[in-house]
Amino acid sequence: MEHERCYIYTPPQSEERAAKRRRTDSSNHQAQLSARLDIYRELWAQQEERIHATLEEADRSTLENIVNFISSPSRNHDQGLTCILTGLIIAGPSIASHGPFFDRLGRKIRNETNSAYILLTSGECPNLKSLLKNLIKKVTSRTEDDDDDDIAQGVSSRRGPKVLDFDLQHVQEWQTRNHVEKIVVAVQDSEAFDAGLLAEVIDLFHSWLDRLPFVLLFGIATSAESFEDRLSGRALRYLEGEKFNVTQTDKVIETLFGATVASTDVPLRIGPNLSRRMLDRQKDYVQNVQDLSDGLKYAYMSHFYANCTSIFLKKDITFKELPKEVLEAVRNLPSFRKWVELLLDSRKTQEVRKLLDSDEHLFETVKANVISGQEVLAAVTAAVIVLVRLREALQMTSQVPLSSIWIRAASGELAESPLLRETMLSIKKVSSDKLGQVLASFKAAESIYLPVDISAFQNALEDLLKQKTDSTPLRTQDDVRTNSLRTTVVAQKVELSKHKAALSEQDKLYSELIARLHDDLENYFNGTFIDPKELFLSEILIYDLRSPLTEVFQPKPRFAIERALGSPHDYLGCDCCSAAGDKGAEAALSATQPATAILYQLYLESGSLINVADLWAAFNAITGEEGEDNDHKTMALFQRALAELRYLGFVKPSRKKTDHVTKMLWKGL
Amino acid sequence: MLPDELLEQLQTSFPCRELQIRQLSALYSARLPSPSLLTVYGLEATGKTSIVRGVLRANSIQHCIVNSRECITGRHLLERTVASCLDALDQYDDAEIDRKPYARCENISALVVHLQRMMEERTEKFVLVFDGIDRQREAPPTLLPSLARFGEMIPHLSILLITRFPLPLALHSPGAPHLPFPPYTRAESIHILSQSPPKIFLTPPDPEKFPDYTADLAAEDDAWLWGRFLGTVWDTMSKHVGRDLVSFRTTALRMWRPFVTPVVAGELGTRHFVRLMVRQRSLFQGEEPLLNRVVPKESRFKENIKDTLAVGTVKKKPLHLDTDILSLPHYTHYLLIAAYLASYNPARTDSTYFMTHADGRKNRRRVKNTPLSSSVSLSKSKNAKNHRRIPRHLLTPSPFPLDRLFAIFRSLVEGEREGSVPQTGDLLGMVRTLASLRLLVRAGVGGEVEGGGKWRVAFGWEWVRGIGRGVGVEVGEWLVGGVDG
Repeated sequence: MEHERCYIYTPPQSEERAAKRRRTDSSNHQAQLSARLDIYRELWAQQEERIHATLEEADRSTLENIVNFISSPSRNHDQGLTCILTGLIIAGPSIASHGPFFDRLGRKIRNETNSAYILLTSGECPNLKSLLKNLIKKVTSRTEDDDDDDIAQGVSSRRGPKVLDFDLQHVQEWQTRNHVEKIVVAVQDSEAFDAGLLAEVIDLFHSWLDRLPFVLLFGIATSAESFEDRLSGRALRYLEGEKFNVTQTDKVIETLFGATVASTDVPLRIGPNLSRRMLDRQKDYVQNVQDLSDGLKYAYMSHFYANCTSIFLKKDITFKELPKEVLEAVRNLPSFRKWVELLLDSRKTQEVRKLLDSDEHLFETVKANVISGQEVLAAVTAAVIVLVRLREALQMTSQVPLSSIWIRAASGELAESPLLRETMLSIKKVSSDKLGQVLASFKAAESIYLPVDISAFQNALEDLLKQKTDSTPLRTQDDVRTNSLRTTVVAQKVELSKHKAALSEQDKLYSELIARLHDDLENYFNGTFIDPKELFLSEILIYDLRSPLTEVFQPKPRFAIERALGSPHDYLGCDCCSAAGDKGAEAALSATQPATAILYQLYLESGSLINVADLWAAFNAITGEEGEDNDHKTMALFQRALAELRYLGFVKPSRKKTDHVTKMLWKGL
Repeated sequence: MLPDELLEQLQTSFPCRELQIRQLSALYSARLPSPSLLTVYGLEATGKTSIVRGVLRANSIQHCIVNSRECITGRHLLERTVASCLDALDQYDDAEIDRKPYARCENISALVVHLQRMMEERTEKFVLVFDGIDRQREAPPTLLPSLARFGEMIPHLSILLITRFPLPLALHSPGAPHLPFPPYTRAESIHILSQSPPKIFLTPPDPEKFPDYTADLAAEDDAWLWGRFLGTVWDTMSKHVGRDLVSFRTTALRMWRPFVTPVVAGELGTRHFVRLMVRQRSLFQGEEPLLNRVVPKESRFKENIKDTLAVGTVKKKPLHLDTDILSLPHYTHYLLIAAYLASYNPARTDSTYFMTHADGRKNRRRVKNTPLSSSVSLSKSKNAKNHRRIPRHLLTPSPFPLDRLFAIFRSLVEGEREGSVPQTGDLLGMVRTLASLRLLVRAGVGGEVEGGGKWRVAFGWEWVRGIGRGVGVEVGEWLVGGVDG
């Protein structure tokens, strides 16, 4: 076709229908989708509210400090120097959370002070002119509702010199009409700004400071020192201010997890595997609150979209609105089968028969069990919170965060775990002054139901303390401080023997009290820490699938390309290649594979400079057929494959050697 | 000439500038003709602008000052000049000039026309002051020479340029008069600053306890101590760095509060200057008061004082780096270390440092013989002078391709802990984040996705060492040539 510049491609017509599989079943599988969507919306709205509340709470104090700082009068009057009031906001390295933070800050500043707030980002300010244009646009656009605005502008443009659109006189004009106290200019990502540009802006603002009350806020991701190092001494001389630390993301994530997952009143739980995966990702790769909440949201969405039994999470569901398929699906749940087997073991055949036959009975049972299951899970969470508080009050040396304890509890590992045992042991040793704190911390957690009568213990403790005369705290019999080692030398052998100091009467009573508390708590923990996966209907109550989340939030683009080229059978699923693939790694290269895949596998075997002629020879040896005639076809395939590799960025023409290409990407990185 | 009382007044508000004030007021008096062009030059903080403004005001000469600092482009300067001239004339005449003809001022020729039109019917002289014209951004090349000729072309107009340096060549005009404003000497600086002593006692002492200590006495003490203190600050610090008045004042004020703490605490009297000096000598030994900071580091002063009180000598502290503020995700630490190594190690030594397979030993030996190998070991040997090299970490970072970064990263992580890092897109996201934090910088052109893109690090040795120690990697061990100290 070389004689034609362009032509119309007519694909070869084939008689057969496309090989794509089609759904033949006409029934609607997603009949309840809208109902489930409603439940999802309701539940997620609750969660979103919690997330918002947590975030607001997390940087409330910082925001208040900044607002106070802005509304404070400018200092340095006595020194005769005028400096621009500057706030350095150390917002941490998670850039994605800077935007929402500065939005919240802006809202708060506008609401609580008589100031203009202008947010500048590096993207919209490549140079001084566009920065000023942006600034002026943002300042003056706030007053478009003013009636006399148009007239004033019209007059000034009709007569007299034109004010250029990057002239701060616009702002001055605006200021004479609006009289704001401060003009707060927030630079969201100060690192991304050119240092020279920042210095120029500071110089300019300082020059205008006698007419325009500028306040600068810099969002800093690294540290205040590195920010100061970037600016010139001259620019720094014009700045004077304070540093504000935003709550670090890892702490926020911990509280957020506590509020959304490890909280007592959550109808749908995120399972331990998924939680662990999400938290590990936060720790290892990204520290980003937005990402965590997106992950949670996606998990909720997946649960309600893909699991038709999730409709049982609706609070006032009736039997009539439920189609038969859902109940059939419940009968197929693994946990249902396990439960039925359990019933059969305890010889409740009647019950089992009824569950299998009567839809209505099944519905009632499931409905009741969903509620009781939620209660059990809430109890597990409550016990986790109690355990964390207990460890805090005991001031245990190894600090384990709530999230990790919750994950262990949710995967059923906490019962009889070393962590629990260690905590229980230190309860036995607790002295009376600490016990007061422990009991008080239990008391403080009002929302949590604890089947231990804390007040009774508190009263008993008070009684004991009243009887006591000296100030030393009471000790239990297990306290190591009551033990003493005694060495005796008998016939040149040293014998060590432990001796217990005699316990006073009160100490004995105290030991009994502690023993009671210990037993009560142990019973409580052992009773509550069950394995949630064993729970009947855990599929409805817990969402714990990792792969959907991983595929969406942790894509592996490079791995996918390398795998597709390295073992195309994984994607193609064709017969020809699989046969070759079965024989082992040697046979992985076969002529039936796509040309690019073959070339890629040859590419992997070579060094950093590849001789194209060698590559062609190897390629021809694999795909080329006998006879001269087919050489052209093979060459075309080869050239296309090489072009594709180049397009994907694997090879680049080399300048070092003629007829060679440079290897650009290595596998597995 | 100005009447003498007015001159006196100017001289008290601007001390040590008698000569300049006299010259200016002689040149710009109401009756005598003024030069068509004058260049006032001098370094920063020598009182140029204030004195020019003061003299012109005192002589009640019609003038207008255009500040180049506030003009973004050359065109902006021209527009601004026209506007401020019109404003000034309006104010002096108490009448409105019809501004219609002055709507645009695209170039210098237009400015000449506008100014000519403004000056046409005037009889009084008008001084147009261009402040900091030598630092005008995007100034057209003909700006200065043409400004120098304005006074010749337009009657009654004199141009006054305020610059940092004399501009004999840039003006293209022979014999243009210049008026120098030399920097203040030691005596002059101290004289000026001692005019306004800060207070020793921010809150006056209890009048019941010290009934004799009146406000007058306190002011006398303030002035006495401040004067001595200024002399010491000049000799120890400002003489060497920051000789100009503003830096001197900033430095002195920054040191004043910590300096007088023993007096405020009642440990020393207000006149015990020598004892105060001995006690607070550590203040004058550090460089901290000279550094400009946005957030004043008062706490560090206090720490230093505590140290000196306890031990008597100043401990040399390493530069404080708050890496703890920067709580990065786990793998990001490794990625930063890998980036640093990729930037500072030559690529051909990678197989020695990061490969684990059998021929590693052979490579290592060969590398030791190359001239790029350890500068430490060589500098310690006898013929050190012949082979002295700059340590690698003091050189500029060299660019590296992204694949090399990932290869070193994997080698580091997998050496540290078991298991490999999955090939997720998060790694690329991390690179992107670091790039927007300006910790990694793109070197040269080339698309991000293309293999050709190269990067380099934009942080220093000290910082990466801190990061490395945070995750238990001693970066110096991986660096070719090692690092001493």
